[in-house]
Amino acid sequence: MSPCSGWKQSFENPRLRFPLDETMSCIAISARMDSSKQISPDPTELIDWLNAEGLLELDWDFPEDGDLFSAGLDSMAVMQLVVAVEDEYGVELTPDDLTRKNLATPKTLAALIAAKTS
Amino acid sequence: MKPDVLRCDVAVIGGGSAGIAAAVTAARTGARTVLIERHGFLGGMGTASLVHSFCGLYLLRDEPGAVFANPGFATEIANLMMESTGIGPLRSGRVDVLPQHPVEFALIADRLVKAEHMLEVRLHSEVTGVTRDGDGWLIRFNDRSGNHSLAAASLVDASGDAVIAGFMGEGFAIAPAARLQRPAYVLGVRSLSEMSDDVRLRASGLLVEAVRSGELPADALGFSFRASGRPGEIFASLDLSGAAPADDFDPLDAGCLSRLEMRGREIASQTIRWLAARDDAWRGSYISHWPVRAGIRESRRWIGEYVLTGEDLLEGRRFDDEIALATWPMEFRENPRGPKLRFPHESRPCGIPMRCLKPLGFERLFVAGRCISADHDAQASIRVMGTCFATGEAAGRAAAC
Repeated sequence: MSPCSGWKQSFENPRLRFPLDETMSCIAISARMDSSKQISPDPTELIDWLNAEGLLELDWDFPEDGDLFSAGLDSMAVMQLVVAVEDEYGVELTPDDLTRKNLATPKTLAALIAAKTS
Repeated sequence: MKPDVLRCDVAVIGGGSAGIAAAVTAARTGARTVLIERHGFLGGMGTASLVHSFCGLYLLRDEPGAVFANPGFATEIANLMMESTGIGPLRSGRVDVLPQHPVEFALIADRLVKAEHMLEVRLHSEVTGVTRDGDGWLIRFNDRSGNHSLAAASLVDASGDAVIAGFMGEGFAIAPAARLQRPAYVLGVRSLSEMSDDVRLRASGLLVEAVRSGELPADALGFSFRASGRPGEIFASLDLSGAAPADDFDPLDAGCLSRLEMRGREIASQTIRWLAARDDAWRGSYISHWPVRAGIRESRRWIGEYVLTGEDLLEGRRFDDEIALATWPMEFRENPRGPKLRFPHESRPCGIPMRCLKPLGFERLFVAGRCISADHDAQASIRVMGTCFATGEAAGRAAAC
């Protein structure tokens, strides 16, 4: 059976053809949840959390003022970050929050989340 | 009219980064060479799919400054590109990349192949079958004038999809559909603003908002943007999920590609319109050109005399018969949520042995580019164009001997 053999079925069923992907369902869930932590993180916790979320792969001794962009934070990872921050900390980062300065290091990112929480 | 059988020493299937390198090198070595390419220009992913960076050209280094990993054709074409664009290598995170422009790449490739009197290029030609012919090979291909045959003493598969293995029905591996690297859909966008880091990051926030509010589909989160190096032009790259469900993705199937490319155009169109209407930095932006095809990262891989592994890459293993160095980190794109990079220990380069370019059990057949003999993990490093130039050169030289 060809790996694309499901095409007729998916062609006929628009829901199967373009279903919500994981990201979409993740956003839908986050919109419904008000039970997020609401606790601002310290930079070390944030490093562990970025790893646990699979957003970045940082060494265990990654410094609090280490460069997140050099560590692989790109514009696509930033989109995942915004979604994950809302889930975890109940904070909605706006387009204006997303500057190179604010996202530069675990320290600046923690400060941004803290500022938005208070 | 039934055309005569063309004869040559070396036939190269596919005129992408690996095929250009293989054909030019074989011709320079003195072999009568024919290069067969299905599009109307050479360059493959770097032109037809608008992949706008040469990755894998440089060693991984902590120190500043980009150092070429592979002398020879890779370095030659990088220098030609820098002369054309006036742009040198950029450090992006831990890696150095050379921004390249697809328009310049097509021209550079034209000039390189035209300079070789031993090389004949057949654009607009699709290979339809390959069989053994005595000690050599018989290649069937067609263009709009009809079907043609080409007899070649040696054959180089630089098709990216290991099409020769496909014709023979053996000798290749392919990852399960759900694990295959996802394709990229790259388009040219006219944009009046400078694509500064902050404009790009702000765009990420805007797209999340638009997806949240339901104004754009979730696939818009697969976008990233980069300045093209020409004033007023940027490249937008959309990482596609490939298919839904994920295990329906088949990068070799035209039906599958048709659906995902149409989906790519629809998302891109909605997204750029939305940004243009919504944000000052994007005011007046529009899509200026589509790619000829989606950027396929992975499909069939040849099984050669040696299979390069992810472990080899991580350890920076070296080989007595190595013909090139792989220096790009393993870049996984198994979902459309951004690249995951795995770096080798101590930033060591990994050798690519000649045995990876020799399909197991076939004489006078060589492979170059993203479909050389490597496992799924190692392929995530060796697929990049900088490395394809180097494996192409080695395959072309070996085939000409």
